Amino acid sequence: MTSDAFQSPVFRGYLFVLAGLLAVAGALILLLRYVLRKNVDHAWKAYRGWLIMIPLVFLALYFGRVTTIVFFTLVSIGAFTEFARATGLYRDWGMTIVVLLGIIAVGIVSIVPDPETKVHGWYGLLMALPVYAVAAIMMIPIIRDRAKGQLQLIALAVVGFLYIGWMFGHLAYLANASNAYGYLLYLLFAVPLNDVCAFTFGRIFGKRKFRPNISPNKTWAGAIGAFAVSMVFPWLVRFSFPEFGTPELILAGLIVGIGGQLGDLTISIIKRDIGIKDMGAVIEGHGGVLDRVDSLIYVAPLFFHMARYFHGL
Amino acid sequence: MDDWHYEPTPDFDKTPIERLKDFPRHPHLVLYTARLIANVFVRAILHVWHRIEIVGREHLPHDESFVLVANHSSHLDAPALLASLPLKQIHRAFPAAAADYFFTNLPTLAFSTIVVNAMPFDRKENPKHSIDVCRQLLETPRHVLILFPEGTRTADGAIGPFKPGIGFLIAGTPIPIVPCHIHGAFKAWPKGKWIPRPRKLTITIGEPLRFAEARPAKEDALAIADALRNAVVNLITR
Repeated sequence: MTSDAFQSPVFRGYLFVLAGLLAVAGALILLLRYVLRKNVDHAWKAYRGWLIMIPLVFLALYFGRVTTIVFFTLVSIGAFTEFARATGLYRDWGMTIVVLLGIIAVGIVSIVPDPETKVHGWYGLLMALPVYAVAAIMMIPIIRDRAKGQLQLIALAVVGFLYIGWMFGHLAYLANASNAYGYLLYLLFAVPLNDVCAFTFGRIFGKRKFRPNISPNKTWAGAIGAFAVSMVFPWLVRFSFPEFGTPELILAGLIVGIGGQLGDLTISIIKRDIGIKDMGAVIEGHGGVLDRVDSLIYVAPLFFHMARYFHGL
Repeated sequence: MDDWHYEPTPDFDKTPIERLKDFPRHPHLVLYTARLIANVFVRAILHVWHRIEIVGREHLPHDESFVLVANHSSHLDAPALLASLPLKQIHRAFPAAAADYFFTNLPTLAFSTIVVNAMPFDRKENPKHSIDVCRQLLETPRHVLILFPEGTRTADGAIGPFKPGIGFLIAGTPIPIVPCHIHGAFKAWPKGKWIPRPRKLTITIGEPLRFAEARPAKEDALAIADALRNAVVNLITR
């Protein structure tokens, strides 16, 4: 990341596009509300959420690598806390604290330099962290000399750390990439776009349910429509990654188009199993933090390793 | 194989502000950590800026819930009383605070819930309900309820009459009531002033009283309120 984000054409490009989109969407909602007299309460609430989240993300990125990593680590902590509160893991403060420390460790490891190569971000330790985190989680019941019900707590803590802390932590680590703006802004734009397209196509053309036992509102039409948009999208924002050839662009599309919906459904499984609708109520119109980043959690590490395989970070 | 047993936190679907307004508040790791840090900080200020002195700590009951009653002259009162309790007790000590004053805007709401762990007391519309909430609080072992029975801060430094609500709350129960006198808070930070001045604070804790034989009726409640006021006044040493 550069010292002045505005010098990056990628940063400027996304800032321009998103400011434009927000303005157009705002105008559209106003048009619907005051000219066509439609009820736009729901859209307005979601829009207000975006109006806060998008500037927040740009601010974090603008201030540089460390702020970006700290920002996403905080998001990760918020998302895990919601998961813990919804599943009941939160009642066990020992487990919760160990997982939170693990998530903070993911953040620290992403900030510090590799002791051997002196490059920002200690990749080797990031990949090794699950070993230490799982080992620490396993120790808690042993220290307490307790067995009853512990497997559930262990499993919830491991899923919480691996999925919400570590896999999502890959997104923060992308701030160390030489093309940090390109990768981060692409993901942060393409993944929510995929969600919005699935919703919109589903609303317009949706008939057959996609996975009715997991998420009754998702339809085949929504899934296919979103997939199609996500496959085309990398070409539309090709300025984000000039180093990508056709195979990488196809893979980026596949990862977002398929991974985004899988991530969404993954969190839906958790919610459906517990029997709740949203993971929280922090972001009005969007539910909890975890409801907002569900697709990103699945997509970020897949994209990370794809980009790293082809071009290094 | 049996189904797993999930038990979401009761307030998990509320916004952070709704959660703070909720009472009883559910344990929250971040909130507890913030409260602990804030209280260490507040205690440091009370010691350095106000040279707080706490007399009679040995009168505080150890293994049971109790009510702490004190005269009320300043916003310093609740933090000073919290500072006379052991630090590990701050999450189980609840100063009753006027819902119409402390729970209406965000900064005071944040301060009174995060730092002071205040219980919203509805002194205007439905004080009976608030007294019921107090009663439930005291049913949990080792809870501390901090009450200012005058109902408001004194305007002139004198101790006003105690309202009978405290009498209804504890008449006929074995709950110990610990009278406390706070000296110096009125000079340090009276009503209407913006910033506390560096005056000395003295907290005098008296012996616990019990009113197990009293009946929860008007006369007894008034008598209890008077007895408690006398107990607080008798703690004035200089």
